[in-house]
Amino acid sequence: MIPSIDFSKILEILKYDPKDPLLFGTITFFFIFMGFLFLFNFVSLSKSKPKLYLLLAFSLFFYYKSGGEMLALLLLVAVVNFLAGYFIFKNGSQSVKKLILVLNLIVNIGLLGYFKYTNFFITLYNDVQGTQIDAFNILLPLGISFYIFKALSYVFDIYYESLEPVYRFDEYLLYITFFGNIIAGPIDRATEFLPQVREGKTPSKEDVSLGSLFIISGLVKKSIIADYISQSFIARVFDEPLKYTGTENLIAVYGYAIQIFCDFSGYTDLAIGVALLVGYNLMNNFNYPYIASSVADFWRRWHISFSRWLLDYLFTPLQMGLRGLGNYGTALAILITFTICGMWHGASIPFIFWGILHGFYMSFGLLTKKIRKRFTDAIKLTNTPLHKFLQIFITFHLVLIGWVFFSAKSMENAFNVFKQIFSFFKPEIFGQFYEGYPGVTIFLILGVILVFSPKRAIDSIRTNLLKLPLIFHAILLAITIWLVMQIQYADFQPFIYFDF
Amino acid sequence: MISERFKNTILKQLELDDFDIQDETKANTVPGWDSLNHVNVIVAIEKEYGVKFKGIEVLKCKNIGDLQKLVDSKINQ
Repeated sequence: MIPSIDFSKILEILKYDPKDPLLFGTITFFFIFMGFLFLFNFVSLSKSKPKLYLLLAFSLFFYYKSGGEMLALLLLVAVVNFLAGYFIFKNGSQSVKKLILVLNLIVNIGLLGYFKYTNFFITLYNDVQGTQIDAFNILLPLGISFYIFKALSYVFDIYYESLEPVYRFDEYLLYITFFGNIIAGPIDRATEFLPQVREGKTPSKEDVSLGSLFIISGLVKKSIIADYISQSFIARVFDEPLKYTGTENLIAVYGYAIQIFCDFSGYTDLAIGVALLVGYNLMNNFNYPYIASSVADFWRRWHISFSRWLLDYLFTPLQMGLRGLGNYGTALAILITFTICGMWHGASIPFIFWGILHGFYMSFGLLTKKIRKRFTDAIKLTNTPLHKFLQIFITFHLVLIGWVFFSAKSMENAFNVFKQIFSFFKPEIFGQFYEGYPGVTIFLILGVILVFSPKRAIDSIRTNLLKLPLIFHAILLAITIWLVMQIQYADFQPFIYFDF
Repeated sequence: MISERFKNTILKQLELDDFDIQDETKANTVPGWDSLNHVNVIVAIEKEYGVKFKGIEVLKCKNIGDLQKLVDSKINQ
């Protein structure tokens, strides 16, 4: 007897469900994605046009499944920026180009501001004025900060004449809505993405192998390490820091550095991996951020697609405008850029404080550069291995202080973490930690190895794995997915950057 | 084509003894010419040639050759 298929259940799975977003790394995603890949590879045998439409359809479905009716907003943003780019390019007058750019910025930032910051400012106003204005019922559209920045980069690149607008809306729409990077980046540039759309590349065997390895790496980082250490220890401590000793708070602070790296770079690996399986290359977002020798260097290595966006479209124009003030102008441009960076991450005081803190670090570093150089020259420290070590050590700890605010639900919670570390420190806890948290200890050590492994070692492992036959990668991927299902502490946790 | 005067202005600002600068050279490949120092190089060139750039003019430059052309166009105005 042929088993009957319950199509209503399949439709149910494919329908928008805010409680069950389509996240990379979930079984639902892999199930749907495998079905799509089967169809995609079948269509790949033909010309590029059906592939483009299939990718577009899957990308729109992918967004709809998690974002529902907010898909309309995504399409609106796409249309507005497409038209803005077209008219900027077509118009000969620089002042008209500028006017279109400014109007387009007002629309985009206005939308972002409405959805992300309205309730924040209402709360702030209530606190200051003592009023009781009710907050609006506003749902944050999924990935809005990412896709608005991506769409804006398209318009900025046309304005700065590094890109000509595309005349085919379908190609452009795939750039804006591509399922691989729509939710949490990377914020790829049109100059790098659109040629791939036009090429209509079919994934090679190398793409599939590399893609599988990226997915494995992403699953290990996100679903095993980040989720486990967060739920078993770090999130509990940060929720109620006063219930834990200073030692546990300190371990949670160091652990959070591992957690956020594994969470976000794990997400990026998954995004790069799934994109490779359909033949697309996304940009990498991370380059060993914790071995940065300064906070400025950290931002060249952390969330690279976002920091490049801030650099090209916000910091550099600001810096040029303020150049009459010399280094003070640059310091001011840094402070403004990083305050906005903090706000972009979330509408809360700790996020804004975190951004300002990074701005302060970098401004202070810039203004004291000459004095510090004179000092290290005088004590013959400049360019010595010890100097390099101290630079990395200090930078890492400055970033670590920032993460406490980044992860905190309130400023009070963040200060309580420091309070516990400095007033309730129990060194003996270090010895007992493994007994209390054996799994967390093991995954923390694994995370440290992943974060600090030399690039050469990682590259060598990857090269050797790539030499193995494709079937091996498929088996390795299946084992990893099985392992994730076994180890997963509870339900799959949303990515930290998912909320931005 | 990059002139000696233009090249020397850049090298002096970045405290470099020498560096091969061609039309196609990107600013971020020159030692010391990073995002924070970028504006200091621009100001040094403006001072050297007694010109004033608009922000957008500099932002449109894709390489050092474009910056040289911008200076040339300002001088010839």
